[in-house]
Amino acid sequence: MNKLVEIALGLVTGIGGFLEAGSLATSAQAGASFGFQLVWAIALGTICIAFLIEMAGRLAAVSKHTLPDAMRERFGIRFFTVPLVVVVLVSFLVLASEIGGVSLALQLATGIRFQWWAPAVALAVWLLLWAHNFSLVEKGASLLGLVTLVFLVGAHKLHAPLGEIGSNLIPSLPREDSAKYWFTAVSIIGASVSPYLFYFYSAGAIEDHWDEGYLGVNRVIAGLGMGFGGTVAVAVLVCAALVFHTSGVQIDRYEQIPLILAQPLGRWGFILFVASLGIACFGAALEIALQIAYLVAQGFGWKWGENIRPSQAARFSLVYTGAILLAGLLILTGIDPLKLTVFSMALTALSLPVTVVPLLIVMNDPEYLGDNVNHWIANTAVLVVSVIACVVALVAIPLQFLGGS
Amino acid sequence: MELGQALLDQQVTDRKGELMGKVDGVIVELRKAKPPRVAGLLIGGGTAAERVHAGWARWLLRWRRGWGPRHDEPLEVPWGKVLKIGVDVKVDLDAERTPALDWEHWIRDRIISRIPGA
Repeated sequence: MNKLVEIALGLVTGIGGFLEAGSLATSAQAGASFGFQLVWAIALGTICIAFLIEMAGRLAAVSKHTLPDAMRERFGIRFFTVPLVVVVLVSFLVLASEIGGVSLALQLATGIRFQWWAPAVALAVWLLLWAHNFSLVEKGASLLGLVTLVFLVGAHKLHAPLGEIGSNLIPSLPREDSAKYWFTAVSIIGASVSPYLFYFYSAGAIEDHWDEGYLGVNRVIAGLGMGFGGTVAVAVLVCAALVFHTSGVQIDRYEQIPLILAQPLGRWGFILFVASLGIACFGAALEIALQIAYLVAQGFGWKWGENIRPSQAARFSLVYTGAILLAGLLILTGIDPLKLTVFSMALTALSLPVTVVPLLIVMNDPEYLGDNVNHWIANTAVLVVSVIACVVALVAIPLQFLGGS
Repeated sequence: MELGQALLDQQVTDRKGELMGKVDGVIVELRKAKPPRVAGLLIGGGTAAERVHAGWARWLLRWRRGWGPRHDEPLEVPWGKVLKIGVDVKVDLDAERTPALDWEHWIRDRIISRIPGA
């Protein structure tokens, strides 16, 4: 495919696909509780994921291996089982969160409780994957995902003070409620640096037959795509801050959350909020379900592919079918989707070293990357963020649960 | 022996390029007064599980015997059948005719094909 078209598609996916249940929930919570203070967490998470996405793409283009394939090869089945199990479990919880997000959007639109929507949402996600034409679905989902740009419009309408927002790019210590501050910061990092993003990206690069000629394209998509996407997350935080934090109103009911757009944009704000939530989470659900199947199939050498008939890749199809079924059941139990989402994000942050360190080791192995091994800056940035996020999560998660959320 | 290590856990493809699993194990031939050499590859049949944890592997195989394809032995690929070692290990076999895809076929026939649209 023409490289410019690839860049354009990659950017659209990066912008439209950045927001999902995790980034929406954590950015909104951060804005409502701490104003603009946690902008630095979004920025840090975005920089980290940009590096990781670039790495996943480079690995695929140069070594012609997907990430799970390379990881099993490099570490052997014994050590591979650790990231395999951890990423599958964490991704499963995030998948359930996304299905919960779509269900919540439907509750906001219709008044019918979210849990009763879960089976229909799960079925819809599954059907689109079963139709084995994901390339088409992906393009559609990415384009529709651009609706999330409405948060930028909302922030503008609320007269977002750019200077003040910008000054919060520098990390600051909490003035009050430390436990919640750090828990929220860590959840934001977990939402930005979700493993499913770079695992999915590496599979896509292989399916598109990327080679070393695509390294530039890869860098642009990773940097600009994630960069713009992160800006949308900041816009969500800003809207929540200006609508809730400044007025001191606390969010206790789901029905309040759309206010972050309904206040600046009226009825259309509400509609577009619901649409953004639904579309963003639905798109993410599709990707995560596929990603779980990729991880297992590529790790065990099974046939896999997003456009293959289910009967041609039976084990692969069974994995995503099972994942979606279980995730749907979890939401059907009525578990609070917002709490599940934020918890999954914190768990993602906690597990970052396990998911990221193997990738870093492979990325520094000349056997896979030849001359294209990692630059020390990339290694350091990602490693530092992952380890710090993990350590902070270790402390913040129990504290948050002891203090109640 | 270095070859054996390098081969382990690599993707295996058949002569048509179809994916047929990973090199779960390596058969090593010990020879008198000569260095050991790789005699073949092992694919599937609980070989990988055994490398993770022998106890769990036994439990897994016992559990699997209750259902699934009755044959659960690993596929042995003699060294002579290895065509090329590169990004993948290409072997001179037809994946469909080997036990490597037994589970794939069983799941396809018993579960996946029962769902409309497969």
